[in-house]
Formats: sequence, C-alpha cells, structure tokens
Amino acid sequence: MTFFLNAPMIGFYIIALFILGCAVMLLSFQRVIYMALAIGGVFIGCAAIYILLGADFVGVAQLLIYAGAITILIMFAIMLTNHEAADPPHKWTVRNILSAVAAVLLGAVLLLVIRSTTWPPEVEADVNGGNSNPVAVGLALFQNYTVPFELVSLLLIVGMVGAVILARERKEDEEE
Amino acid sequence: MFQYWNGYLFVALFIILGILLPVASLWVIGPLLRPNHPTQGKRTTYESGLEPFGDARVRYNARYYLFALLFVVFDVETLFLYPWAVSYKRLGMFALVEMLIFLFLLVIGLVYAWRKKVLEWT
Repeated sequence: MTFFLNAPMIGFYIIALFILGCAVMLLSFQRVIYMALAIGGVFIGCAAIYILLGADFVGVAQLLIYAGAITILIMFAIMLTNHEAADPPHKWTVRNILSAVAAVLLGAVLLLVIRSTTWPPEVEADVNGGNSNPVAVGLALFQNYTVPFELVSLLLIVGMVGAVILARERKEDEEE
Repeated sequence: MFQYWNGYLFVALFIILGILLPVASLWVIGPLLRPNHPTQGKRTTYESGLEPFGDARVRYNARYYLFALLFVVFDVETLFLYPWAVSYKRLGMFALVEMLIFLFLLVIGLVYAWRKKVLEWT
C-alpha cells in the first residue's frame, strides 16, 4: 500500500528533475533554436505534473497548446529572424550581478510564501463528482460558465483578426 | 485512485519504449549488425540526391508565421470541442446551441481571413 502512495511522489521527483534539467539547458544554450527545444521540454514536464495532480484535461491542454502550438510558434519566430549568431560569451557586469541578486531575492520570497502558506489537508472526496476529469470540465464549462466560454470565442476572433492585420500591413510594406 | 495511476503507468511505459527503441537500434544492436565502411561521399548530408548546398538554418518567409498564428487559434478551438463532446449526452440541446455560437464566431474570423486573401499563396 505504501508503494502506491509513494509512487506519485517518485514520479514527481523524476518529472521535477526533468523540468529543472530542461530549464538549466534553456538558460545555458548559446543558440536560440536549442533554447526553443528546451522550452518544449519544460512544457512537456509541466503537462506531466498536471496529469500527476489529477488534472487530465489541463495536462492534455498543456501538451496540445504549449508543447504543440506555442513551441512551434517560437520556432517559427526564430526561423523568420536572424538566428545564426550565437550569444556572446557571458560577462559579469554590474547590471548582471544586480539582476542575479534580484532573482535570488525573488526566489527566496516565493519560497518563504510557499512554506508559510497553510495548505488545505488532502481530501479524499472526489472533486470531479464521480465523473472523469474532461466530463467534469465540460459540465462546468457549459452549465455554469456559459458566458465566459462565449467570451473566449470573442478573444480568439480578436487574436485571429490581429494576425490577419499584421500580415496585411506587411504586404503593404512590400508594395511601397 | 489506483485505477487512475494504472492507466498512466502504460503511458509511461510507452514513453520509455519510444525512447529506448531508437537508442537500441542506432547505438546498441545496429552497429553489431551493419557493415561499417565510411567514405567521404557516404558522410555527406542526404538532400534528395543533390549535392547539399547552403546552411540548414535558412530564414523562412514571414508568411509562414501567419499560418502558425491561425493554427494556434484553431488549436485552442479544438481544445474546447473535446470537453463538450465527452459531456454532450449530459448537456443536451443548450450546449449544442452554445457550441454552434462559438463555432459561428470563429467561422466569421476564418471568413475574414479568407476575404482578406491571407490564405492565398501568391
């Protein structure tokens, strides 16, 4: 019994190690295209964490949108621009040192807040109300949150129109 | 809860198999079976039979980016279709109308993109 209680914990440590490894690679690579691949790894690790927490739908959404679409978008953005130049070697300037101090301070504050928060005790009750996770999401989305759902389509249409306008502006630049 | 983890153990198993298969065939079993006589010609990059030229990392046309952006929008739309489809029997007619409104608004966006000729490749 203890093994099954501990198995998610072991999984968590493996996934956390994977995410941290990808994050360190993201920071240490010299070429942006490798950084984009590393960020894809971070997204996949986050999806695994969501699934580990029991949020199947969010996990699959993370895979589909972030690991799939957003990483491709980043790749495209890199391939459209001049990406051949590698970053110059790292130097310790005053600004970099100040940034490092600020980052460490922020991390310390976040850790302090997380440690001092009292988390609700683990409840055995089924939060999905006996349904599988995507069904529970669907019921909540289409019964309780109808208006926000329709607003999402407006947000998507705004995004689409924005993309079209950006592309059209570029066409006019070519004509000039 | 045990049932839940059981399902994902198989997913983990498939991921491990997927990683091990190319590793085994390329670096472990493959070198034992295949002959190994590399020459200069064999080592060049395969480019559909032509002599390879230029760098692999060329700049792409900016028009591809628009397709990537539209892909993200429709990817998000697909994501919302899934919970609707699996809970459809429980939701009934009201959810169908909701989804039709949702899809109609996105089709307006697609028609807008179409009318502005961004889907054409000229």
